[in-house]
Amino acid sequence: MDHAAAGPALRAPARPGARAGAKRRREAALAWLLLAPALAVFLLYRIIPLGWNAILSLQEWSPFKPAVWVGLDHYREMLTEDPTFWEALANTLWFTASAPVGIAIALGIALLVNTDVRGRDVYRTFVFISYPLMTVAVGIIWRWMLDERVGLFNYALRSVGLIEQPIPFLQSFELALPSVIVANIWQIVGFYMIILLTGLQTIPRNLYEAAAIDGASARQQFFRITLPLLRPSLFLCFVIGVMSSFTSFDLVYVMTNGGPGHSSELLVTYLYKAGFEMTRFDYAAALTVVQFALLVALTWIGNKASGGDAGAVERG
Amino acid sequence: MKRPPAWPIHAALCVVSFFMLLPFYWVLKTSLTGENIFAYPPSLLPVAPHPFFYVDVWYYIPFVRYFLNSVIVSAMVVAANVILNAMAAYALTRGFRGRKLVILLLLSCMMIPFQTTLIPAYLLTGKLGILNTYLGLALPMFSTIVCIFVFKASFDAVPRSLVDAARIDGLAEWRIIWKIMLPLSTSAVATNVILSFIWSWNNFLWPLVVTRDPLLQTLPLGLARFLSYHENTTGALYAFCILVLAPGILLFLLAQKEFIRGLTSGATKG
Repeated sequence: MDHAAAGPALRAPARPGARAGAKRRREAALAWLLLAPALAVFLLYRIIPLGWNAILSLQEWSPFKPAVWVGLDHYREMLTEDPTFWEALANTLWFTASAPVGIAIALGIALLVNTDVRGRDVYRTFVFISYPLMTVAVGIIWRWMLDERVGLFNYALRSVGLIEQPIPFLQSFELALPSVIVANIWQIVGFYMIILLTGLQTIPRNLYEAAAIDGASARQQFFRITLPLLRPSLFLCFVIGVMSSFTSFDLVYVMTNGGPGHSSELLVTYLYKAGFEMTRFDYAAALTVVQFALLVALTWIGNKASGGDAGAVERG
Repeated sequence: MKRPPAWPIHAALCVVSFFMLLPFYWVLKTSLTGENIFAYPPSLLPVAPHPFFYVDVWYYIPFVRYFLNSVIVSAMVVAANVILNAMAAYALTRGFRGRKLVILLLLSCMMIPFQTTLIPAYLLTGKLGILNTYLGLALPMFSTIVCIFVFKASFDAVPRSLVDAARIDGLAEWRIIWKIMLPLSTSAVATNVILSFIWSWNNFLWPLVVTRDPLLQTLPLGLARFLSYHENTTGALYAFCILVLAPGILLFLLAQKEFIRGLTSGATKG
């Protein structure tokens, strides 16, 4: 496949070397021509920005002012003088740490849907439907669910008598971030479920039959067969969870805008604010470099831990 | 083998479905009654539903304008994705020097989520002079690496002899893509359309950064703006929300299989 042969018709001519050479050059030119538009998009919006970020992070620059090299000043400021950066980083890592919770819930649902229960397709639809929806709208829905005065959550908790006073979920320093995380899990759990379901369906049934004959309990079957064979799917979910926590913006922007204070600030919302509200593009670039480095490191660890097969499902 | 009873599974799945659907119900109810915006306790069932909040949406905000902007940008993105990705994927099914390098480059570009390019992407778009234009909104999403590989996998499955025969018959390369490759790859085309549509339709951060003109704003921006003006003082916000969600939900229900397959194949795209 890699050395796709020029068709058999091309090898026949009298002077094979010259003809084939010209042909190959034409083929290559055509291939590059076809690739050019797509590569141009990636060059403009992936590769150049990556380098630009790195350069900008080492400069003192703002629009209409000449750039001055300042070395690692922005990084020093970030690490030593900017508590907001550390808060945003910690929050992002909490967001990442919540991924296993979502994955565990999704695994439970996937196991239930994977039985031959009637109406499983309907249940699957119900669980999945929130995933492809507009996150801004999802944020507004959850703001309303968690509203302090008349939100459904507070109403339910008060009716059951769990709390006396309504809880201001999104205005509270302790609960703002967990609230956003709950909304995020609600939206993404269906996606995890589908990935795990695909993984479950690749496990051969006769393994379970053989185990049952040997007298293995349902518990043993789960821990000895299901979990080990599901490992690639589980790690793929985790990589997606990491990605989503390092790129999540819409939910926080709509639900809390990082507040109160910076208690639900994430790296992306913070770099957005640094760049477009405080017009410190240079500092925002430095934040981006750190964010990107962390993301690459975490994904790499995830891949290593899974034995390098975390990407197997989507490339299969 | 003894089959376990089905009812506990049904019960568990019903509880799960309840929690997944409850938020939709709650917002729909508010958009139809609005009575519980200030009232406590909120009523659980809609009391005296009316459509007036939906009428409000019509008068408060240029809903049609937002909607059209979203449609225009998404149409540009979807068309560009199908064309550019098919071209690139076709090139990758051919043998040429540097092919492996291109694939390696694409795979590493996949690791760069758009959010980490935000600042330079904005500055670059300014340099190109297309801030505040439809093109500026759509251009960064014109091609998607995952979708190139979806096409490539599908093109690789087309028999080599068919392509060779077409070439001997003198078919131009672009016609081979158009007349042979694409018709034989309908499911890859569907994946491309659905993925690029969802990403552009739901995209919020990039339009937020790149548009200044209110007349160029897309639906998610309009929604966020409306929220910042009115907070949650009016049922119109929730009517707006429902109007924004309804097309997506309908589309999803109509093409569920394609959606699920498409989204799982695009799994690692940030």
